Amino acid sequence: MGLDFVGQGAAETDGNIITTTIDKVVNWGRKNSLWPMPFGTACCAIEMMATLASKFDLSRFGSEAIRFSPRQSDLLIVSGRISIKMMPVLKRIYDQMPDPKWVISMGACASCGGVFDTYTLIQGVDQFIPVDVYIPGCPPRPEDLIDAVLQVQQKIASGAAPKGVEAVYE
Amino acid sequence: MSEENQVEEQPKPLILEKLEANHADALLAQDESRGTVVVTVRKEQSYAILEYLKTDPELAYTFLVDVTAVDNSQMESELMQFDYARFMVVYQLYSYQGQCRARVKVPVHENDLNIPSVTTLWQGANWLERETYDMFGINFEGHPDLRRILMPDDFEGHPLRKDYPLRGRGERERFNFDKQNM
Repeated sequence: MGLDFVGQGAAETDGNIITTTIDKVVNWGRKNSLWPMPFGTACCAIEMMATLASKFDLSRFGSEAIRFSPRQSDLLIVSGRISIKMMPVLKRIYDQMPDPKWVISMGACASCGGVFDTYTLIQGVDQFIPVDVYIPGCPPRPEDLIDAVLQVQQKIASGAAPKGVEAVYE
Repeated sequence: MSEENQVEEQPKPLILEKLEANHADALLAQDESRGTVVVTVRKEQSYAILEYLKTDPELAYTFLVDVTAVDNSQMESELMQFDYARFMVVYQLYSYQGQCRARVKVPVHENDLNIPSVTTLWQGANWLERETYDMFGINFEGHPDLRRILMPDDFEGHPLRKDYPLRGRGERERFNFDKQNM
């Protein structure tokens, strides 16, 4: 299940006891039960839906419990272009999510504005909220989103703080 | 040239005949664009003409498809044609009865951006005129609720005007989240 044991079972207990650290166990639980908050505003959201549906099946990685309430989720997937009118909404939803929380910026528009270099579009959501993993593509394939979720899982397993927490301590 | 290439004389569209008979003084220009009659009319009579096109039993342009505007400030040829009116408010109409379309254009000068609202003729003009106000700053007189519809309420300027910079005036980088209506 991806849990790295720090200690092996001693010979006299015949492998029935393992030793580990609280952090590792907690992170192991977090990483295998990410609850995404979908923030789908454009065509990337269609790919996100495909990722969640049976063909690509994100539930294989423990992330199928899509929460439409930010208060019950710990992974924000920003998929689509964010206009200047939508940015306060996104910021508020990010603020409402309980810590620890991770953010995936999915696709060219969310990451850098994409082809929409205009007055109304945010040129990258990372100007306003901390982003952990960026996905290139217009739109990215579902495999790319799965890869991003796995990267978030790796980050959690490694014990690294989410980007948002780093920002607070900077 | 063979006879096949000779263009057959088209009968004059009914709308032009009727407008020339009843509102000749309001007509500034008439044109045809891909089968659609295009008439340009004076602003003072624009409401009367649109009302006429809607209520006349023979024309019956009962469906207002779209209201929008064009900023001709960088189109010298267009500007010269209509006394250097910067904006052209455009109404797209459709007649279910005649199964035909018509386009009514109204030149609007920059120093007088008022134009009568047609919300009393078509309820659907409400949001269309709000969008035109939002994007071009055309002031529709008599509109029941003329506010921005697409841009944020505290947005300054009218972004589809040609003098508005494409990449904006820094509003996409500058954010005060406390001030925003969150």
